[in-house]
Formats: sequence, structure tokens, C-alpha cells
Amino acid sequence: MRFVRFLLKRLVHSLFVIWGVVTVVFFLRFLTPGDPTTALVSPDAGQDVRDALREELRLDEPIHIQYFEYLTDLMVGDLGNSMDVLDRPVTEWIFGAHLIRSVELALAATFVAVVIAIPLGVISARRRHQPADYSATLFSLFGISTPNFWLGIMLIIIVAVPIGFIPTGNPGPLFYQALGDAVTQGNFGGLWDWLRHIFLPAITLGTYFTALITRLTRSGMLEEIGKPYVKACHAKGLPETLTLYKHVLRNTLIPIITILGLQLGTLIGGAIVTEVVFEWNGLGQLLIDRISTRDWTMIQGIIIVIGVGFVAINTIVDILYAYLDPQVVSK
Amino acid sequence: MISDRVKASLKREFKTSRMAQLGLVLVLLVIVVATFAPFFALHDPTEQRIGTGDGVDDDDAGVIGDNDEDDDDDDIDPGDVDDADDADEAESTDRTDVPPLSPIPGHQFVGETEQIQRVDHDDGTFDIEIVETEVHADRAFPLGTNTVGQDIYSRIVYGARVSMLVGILGAGLAALVGVPYGLAAGYFGGRLDDGLMRGADVMLAFPSLVLAIALVGVFRDSGFHTTQLPDPFVLAAQSDTIPNVLIPRAEHVASMPESITFPVTVTLVVALVNWVWFARIARGEAISIRNEEYVKAARSLGASHTRILRQHIFPNAMTPIIVLATIQVAFIILLEAALSFLGFSGTNLTWGADVESGRGDLATSWWISTMPGIAIVIAVIGVNLIGDWLRDALDPGIEGESGGM
Repeated sequence: MRFVRFLLKRLVHSLFVIWGVVTVVFFLRFLTPGDPTTALVSPDAGQDVRDALREELRLDEPIHIQYFEYLTDLMVGDLGNSMDVLDRPVTEWIFGAHLIRSVELALAATFVAVVIAIPLGVISARRRHQPADYSATLFSLFGISTPNFWLGIMLIIIVAVPIGFIPTGNPGPLFYQALGDAVTQGNFGGLWDWLRHIFLPAITLGTYFTALITRLTRSGMLEEIGKPYVKACHAKGLPETLTLYKHVLRNTLIPIITILGLQLGTLIGGAIVTEVVFEWNGLGQLLIDRISTRDWTMIQGIIIVIGVGFVAINTIVDILYAYLDPQVVSK
Repeated sequence: MISDRVKASLKREFKTSRMAQLGLVLVLLVIVVATFAPFFALHDPTEQRIGTGDGVDDDDAGVIGDNDEDDDDDDIDPGDVDDADDADEAESTDRTDVPPLSPIPGHQFVGETEQIQRVDHDDGTFDIEIVETEVHADRAFPLGTNTVGQDIYSRIVYGARVSMLVGILGAGLAALVGVPYGLAAGYFGGRLDDGLMRGADVMLAFPSLVLAIALVGVFRDSGFHTTQLPDPFVLAAQSDTIPNVLIPRAEHVASMPESITFPVTVTLVVALVNWVWFARIARGEAISIRNEEYVKAARSLGASHTRILRQHIFPNAMTPIIVLATIQVAFIILLEAALSFLGFSGTNLTWGADVESGRGDLATSWWISTMPGIAIVIAVIGVNLIGDWLRDALDPGIEGESGGM
């Protein structure tokens, strides 16, 4: 019962935050100086053309009516039409290949980070003040201090240019398509192609997270290792590796997951820059492109989708967390 | 505000930690270089050196298709270029894509540059050809030059100014907004806390870089607001009233830019995007401090809320705020670099923009993007090490809650 109440409270809060995000994004556009139609029509277009456009974009109505209409459209999943020449619905753009590509990149980076960072953090804590610990600490220091656009460029110079077969200029096939080819036709070329394309961007985006998780795992493990239950594990003769991975690491992971939820924004922000470096045609690249063409409906749509995704993931993490650790509910 | 106990613990940690010492050295290095940029720079960082490629003679550079009778100059002898050690002599000739000096003795980097050449024919007509020429390292440009022949080393020196200023001012502004906001929310609690923190939650739902890009997109149309910060050293060196003997290398300093472009919009945007992290930390501290005995005592003595907040809550919340502010400086330097890399800065003389400017020639002129990035890494590592030092010494318990791009 208490859990249900927590669940409802958390969901209401998330809905409120999403409403806040939508509102901020809506009013951002009204901070832009000048007539929004200026960017859309040719400079010599007459006033009648502008007026028609204003009417079509509903810019002639008072702002609160526009806001209300924006909200009601949003309820049915309508983010408006792109203001660029193609005039397609924003949702069609975002929920096409762009979103999938961004999610693929983010997941690949997270995969790289988790696979490398957790063992590295554990080893670092276990061999404290030994060369392995120092190298891991040094690596994580560089990892959190290196701007990822520069790291991506360095990887292009050091890896892609000399090796040659790693492409840097286009995003390659989508994973589910490549996987489909492999499963249905036994054609693994697509998967290889996908891997070859995502390799460097995933490392570029994943390095910061690898470094961060390594640091967090190390300090969390060191804090836990001194606790009495670890001694108890030793005392009953549990192998050290088992103690570390099964007991200590598990207790360390809970705070790490919370921090990672908070740091998800870093991943999304980093993804934008990484996409630009590798011309990865995802949401970030789309956002940057449309900022320069001043396609405001598209910009608003992308930011709302990112914001909602961010809130949704944090909500899910919180709920899972509460489910696993009942103490959270009572707080 | 900083107790003796805190000072002692800072000192103890500093003495034992090599990393803390390294951090302080790196940060001081960057700050000193940024402050005294005109003394450290070898050339004016904005000065371009694009010639016709028609020859390396001083007189015929600068104008494409200059009427030149020397036909045998078409084939440029690399050695000829190499000889131009003197910066003044090299000024008007083409010095684009010069590679950096190699740290390995006996080894040399070789670059190549595309030059437009005019080939005269006997019948009076001429063709314009693009010719690739080898470029050799030059002691006048220790880190090489970029595609328009600007000295990369001098640009890095000046870029430090923008990065450090935006980082420190941005974090300061963010703290100025976020700390009172969070302290008020935490201290008063109840409805006010709910209201204020809901607002903060909305801010947290935007990834910093996304919000920063959106804000920059908004402000850009009214023009990036930048301001020209005059350089006191250069002005002093140029003025007649101050005797030049007081300024080392006065003549050199006088030839440096009189002012630097400071990106006001970007500074405001990074502060606007990051204040909420200060609010979070300050709120948590205020909540834990407000029920302390000494606060209760002050309240029962009739102290006003403002007095309690100023005299008791704020000083006791300082430690984690200082640690956060340090980590935020590092974050904001990275954020500013990312924004200027994406072209949303308002000034070109920043590390991020310089990394971007080399992206077209990664296979040939790798140093253009590489060098400014190393500067970013050095500065951010320095600040992060200081953050680690403060965190280890003061243990404020804010691991990982530092904001993000």
C-alpha cells in the first residue's frame, strides 16, 4: 500500500516536471527577438505572405491561446510541422531513424562504460595504492577531464585515419536492420558494418562515463570494504572475488545508479557533440542543424522529447530503486 | 568562515597528496598564462599569414595574382620557407599549416599546404593552379600554425583567458543564484521548499548542453552579446605616460591585441544552466543545519531569519559549496569548450573554436585540432585535482553530484 502511494506520488511529480519542461520550451521561443516569419520567407515577400504564414502558424493569436493549443496538440502527440521547407510533422522526423540512432549510440556507450568501468573500479579498490590502482585512477582523471569532441577527433586522427576501414563520416546501418539481416538471411556483413561505424563514437561518448563509474565504484568499494559484514564473509571463508563482486559491489551499486540517473543529462549532451564529430545522423545532429535554420517547432520538439525521455528514465530508476530498497519509500 | 580545523585538514591532505600539488601547479600555470597572456604569446594571436604562394619574397605576398615576373619561383624550396625564423620577416608570406616542433630529437613533422599559384604562359595568358607544398616546422611557431597561418601557441595562450574567465565567472554567477535559492528552500521548508524545488526539478530535466544550445539559439538572434575587455598590459605598454622600462619587453607587448572579446551571452547561459546544482547542495545543507542546537539557540534568542541564514546556515554550508564550485569550474570550462566547438560562442579566440577549425584537415594538419584540446585537458585536470583535494580533505559527501553537460 505504501509502495502504491509512493508510486502515485512519484508519477504525479514526473507529470508536473514534464508539464514544466513543455512550458519552458514553449516560452523559450517567445524570447527570440523579431518576427519568427522572417527566417521563413524570402526578404522581398510582401506583408500578405507574412500574414498568411502567421495565420497558418497560429502566431496571430494571443499567447495564452497559443500555449493552450500547443498543450492540447501535445496531448495527442502532435508537435506541429517542421518550419523548414519540407514541412513534415516534427514527430515524423524525430521518431524516424534519428531517435533510434541516438538511442543506439547512447546504449553502446553505456555498454562500453559498464563493461570496462565496474571491473576496473573493483580492481582499483582491491589493489589500492598499487600500480593497477594508480593507472586506473589516472585513466579516470583523464576520462572526466577530456572534452569528448576532442577525444573523438583524436580517435579519428590516431585510429581511423591510419587504419582506414573505420568510417567517420556517416552513421551506417541501423542495428535492428543489421540484426534482421543476420537472423533472417544469415548475412553478417550488416552487423560488421554497424559495429565498424559505432565503434569510435561509442568509445568517444562512453569514456566520460567509464571514468566516472570507475571513480564511483572505487570510492564506494573502499567505503564498503571496511564494514563488518565483509569481515564476516572473510571469516566464513568466502573467496575474496566472490565477496567483492557479490556482496561489496552490490551494496556499492545502489548509490552509483542514483548518480548515473542524475548524470544521464551528461550522456545526452555528450551525444550531441559526438554526433556532430562523427556526423552521426541522430537527434543531436538534427538539433544543431535546426538551430542554425531556426526551425523552432523542430527545436522545441527535440528538446521536449529529450526532456521527457530524461524524466521518464529517472522516474523508472526511482521506482525500481524504491521497489528494491523499501527504506526509500518510508523517507 | 573557514575554521582552523578545516585549514589544518586542507594542509595535511595537500602535503601528502602529490595529485593535489600537481593540480595547484597546473591551475596556477593556466591562471598566470591567462593573466599575463601578452607576455607569453609569441605573436598576435589573430594575425593571419596567408600569402599568394607565388614565392616567399615579402613584397609579392598578400595579393592573389600579383604581377610577378619571377617564373622560376613556382617551385617552392621548402628550405627557403624554413629559413624564415624571424617572425617579422615571415609576417606577410604564407605560413599556413606549419607543423609543430617535434619533441623527439632529430625528428621532424612535415605538413602540407595548398597554395594558389599563378602560372604564366608565353602567350600572355595565365592559369591559377592549386599546388600542394611541403611545410616544415619553424621555431617561430613552436606548436605550428593553422589553416590561415595564425600561431597556435599564441592562440592557446589567449584562449586560456576566455576559458578561465567563463569558467570562474560562470560558476560564481551560478553559485550566486543557486545558493540563496537552495538555502531558502531548505531553511524554510514546507510549501516554499516544495515550490522552489519543483522549479529546480524542471531545470534538472534539461540536460545542460541541450538547454545551453537552446538558450544560445534564443539569444543569438539579437546577436551574441560580447564585450571587449581592454588589456591593461598592452595599454600600459602603448601609453607614453608610463615609462616602458617598467614593462618587460614593452615593444612586444604593445604589438598584442588591445582587448579580448569576452562572451557575455555564453557566460550567462552556462550560469543559467548550472545554478540548480548549487541549489540542490545548498538545500540539503540547510535542511541538516536548521535543526542544530546552535540554530535553535539563535532562534530562541529572537534572531531574525535573515540573521540566522547569514550568520549560521550559510557559513556552515560553505564547505560542500566550495567543493561544488571547484568541480563546476571544470564543468563549465568543458561546457564552454563544447559550445564554442559547435560555433555558439561569439568569439573565435577560444580553445573549443580552435579545435573545430582544424576538423577539415585531420589527415594532414593534425596539430590544429590537437594542440588546443591538450590545453583544455590540462586546465580541466588541474581544476579537477583541486576539487579532489578539497573533497578528500573536507569530505562534503557530494561525490558525483556535480552537474553535467
